[in-house]
Amino acid sequence: MPLLAIKDLTIALPPGSDRPLAVEEVSLEVKPKEIVCIVGESGSGKSLTAHAVMGLLPGRVAATAGSILFDGADLLRETPEALRKRRGRDVAMIFQDPMAALNPVVMIGRQVTEQIRAHEHISEVAALKRAAELLAEMGLKDVPSLLQAYPHQLSGGQRQRVMIAMALSLGPRLLIADEPTTALDVTTQAQILKLIRRLQAEREMSVLFITHDFGVVADIADKVVVMRHGRVVESGATSGVLGEPAHSYTRALIAAVPKGDRYLPVPADSVPLVAVKNLTKRFRRGGLFSRAPHVTAVDAVSLTLRRGETLGIVGESGSGKSTLARCVIRLLDPDGGEVRLEDADIAHMKEKSLRPLRRRIQMVFQDPFSSLNPREIVADILIAGPKSFGEDVQEARARAAEMLRLVGLNPQTMHRFPHEFSGGQRQRIGLARALMLRPDVLIADEPVSALDVTVQAQVLKLLDEVRQQMNLAMLFITHDMRVAAEVCHRVMVMRQGRVVEEGPTRDIFTTPASDYTRALLAAIPGHGAL
Amino acid sequence: MSFAARFLSRPVPLFGFVVFAAIVAIALAAPLLFAHGPMAIVGMPLRPPGPGLPAGSDVIGRDMAVGLAYGARISLLVGVASTCCAVGIGVLLGAVAGYYGGVVDDLLMQITEFFQIIPAFMLAMVLVAFLQPSLSSTVIGITLITWPQVARVVRGQFLSLRSREFVEAARVLGMSDARIIFTQVLPNALPPIVVISSMMVGNAILTESALSFLGLGDPDLLSWGTMIGSSRVAMWVAWWTTVLPGVCIMVTVLALNFIGDGLNDALNPRRGR
Repeated sequence: MPLLAIKDLTIALPPGSDRPLAVEEVSLEVKPKEIVCIVGESGSGKSLTAHAVMGLLPGRVAATAGSILFDGADLLRETPEALRKRRGRDVAMIFQDPMAALNPVVMIGRQVTEQIRAHEHISEVAALKRAAELLAEMGLKDVPSLLQAYPHQLSGGQRQRVMIAMALSLGPRLLIADEPTTALDVTTQAQILKLIRRLQAEREMSVLFITHDFGVVADIADKVVVMRHGRVVESGATSGVLGEPAHSYTRALIAAVPKGDRYLPVPADSVPLVAVKNLTKRFRRGGLFSRAPHVTAVDAVSLTLRRGETLGIVGESGSGKSTLARCVIRLLDPDGGEVRLEDADIAHMKEKSLRPLRRRIQMVFQDPFSSLNPREIVADILIAGPKSFGEDVQEARARAAEMLRLVGLNPQTMHRFPHEFSGGQRQRIGLARALMLRPDVLIADEPVSALDVTVQAQVLKLLDEVRQQMNLAMLFITHDMRVAAEVCHRVMVMRQGRVVEEGPTRDIFTTPASDYTRALLAAIPGHGAL
Repeated sequence: MSFAARFLSRPVPLFGFVVFAAIVAIALAAPLLFAHGPMAIVGMPLRPPGPGLPAGSDVIGRDMAVGLAYGARISLLVGVASTCCAVGIGVLLGAVAGYYGGVVDDLLMQITEFFQIIPAFMLAMVLVAFLQPSLSSTVIGITLITWPQVARVVRGQFLSLRSREFVEAARVLGMSDARIIFTQVLPNALPPIVVISSMMVGNAILTESALSFLGLGDPDLLSWGTMIGSSRVAMWVAWWTTVLPGVCIMVTVLALNFIGDGLNDALNPRRGR
């Protein structure tokens, strides 16, 4: 008998939403000791399905039909009090953002014991002992001082381990994990996935794992349920679904995962367009008179970039890759070194003399939602650049239409506001804005990391086409090795502000020189399986 | 749904708007509605409301109804004028402090805090007394004690908005700082500014009333606060002399607060969409 059986679950959205039903007649089963992955893109209803099991649907969203049987009892028909007792004891949940799920002003030890004592009548001392054992079981080191730490003092991986410890503190039979590794670095993600696997086997529990990443599915799942637009399109054993996907959508999702099986050749040598030498950027901690040491975010980094070439800068969070990019484009002022754009060193140039050169280096940003001014229509967003360089508005408007066509959008949409577009479309608008000034250098800072995987593939393809068409030199910042393999001619690996190694993409991926690069490559989810 | 439709579709802001519009209309139409001015003595003092004198007469026999209508002019004028000045100063300083941050921010915020730690009403009183009571000194006094709250709100908005990627994008596109502040950031910071402005008009009316009550109003003009202040000796024998202007103040401030709440909801694009 399955531990969890969802049958024909239907969840209605409040009136006025973009569709009436968030989840439509979804059925799935989780057997004891089984890891089931629900995989889908944003808006597929995967997260709401999981929240329904916990009785945690947001305000005006409600399950209208179907049943959720846990060990034979229908959770949809239980009283709120009965459900509350089940949470943590029978079913526990971990979330994507452990920082948001932990109370920032309460020590870790207290948060874990609170959770235990909310369900069991045991003394504070006994609860604390149990908390220490749990944290040790999660593979956390130096538990005594950890118990007295506050959430912000922990790394992302440590926080997620604490969350898992809290979730497992009462020995639940089912763990629901909602994108628990999405916000983590790739090496940390690999460790957390391994931890969940180990705990699942040791504790003989079931796991319902929500993810958008087929790589993660390949690493962890026994069974897969693929969802789209609130419906299950395909389900089955992981090897079957990954090996022989039956549904065209599943095939499209798997095909969209960058494979890194073909590498772009390094273009012929030419005079560098951009030459960065010993670039250094330090940040001061604390206030004006603080004596805290400087943090060197970028430490004597050098690089060259030629026309028509994409240089990938990869690294985990805190590696300094974004700071480096912002120094090159002078959104930040470097503390040392030079940034040569052909003959001009722009690293320490005054804003006034820099302004005419600004049009030659443009940028595509990470967040499709905050990178476009929500109060301006697309036409105004696009002509802002030419206008600030004193170009004719009519001419700029005509070019805006041309650029929108180039990035695959209908020019007639230019009178709309950004919120009327999807995430992928907004990234296209952001690209069009950067191209309006006909730059020589394009800096792309994680341009696809906020996008669904199928949209990601389209935007990457577009970036590559545009680079070829306009003969751009592109600096491509990413944390995702798979993406880097797909679009870059050369790759530079960064760690803690320093360059670990640099070379043609093929060499970095097939014969990495450093242990760190090898660890990054080994941590790629679904490594070898896809 | 358009902004106006969103604002007026809910009963509370609609009520506030209608009441406020009516008060403005009466204030503007006062010379047309009444044959004599607010200072004219029309009969016996302390006559209760009745035929001919809808709001009674005050301690020296002036028509209370005329006084209330003309008083609205002064109260609204002071409220709107001082709010405009305070918002102007507050937006400018707050925007500069929030956008540039660092030393500029530290300096400007020190100045702002200096004004905030002085007991506000005392400052206004001393200033008005020093400048001689008049309409303009009242406006200056109220402006001086209210701009810091605007500056703080605007600075907070700018601090969070300046790190948005669209602001970075504007810098990359070569826009000047002034242009970025006024065309990119300020429009996004407007909703809270509009909301606190509507509330500030109400507060300014209260402060003006309090100053006038204490005899620090313009001696040549009649405001609601002056009316309460000059009638306080008759409070126990002629309730209408103090209660009616008090109700006017209360209704106006309440209407402005309702409008503020309505603007807050209507300007939030995630609500009601």
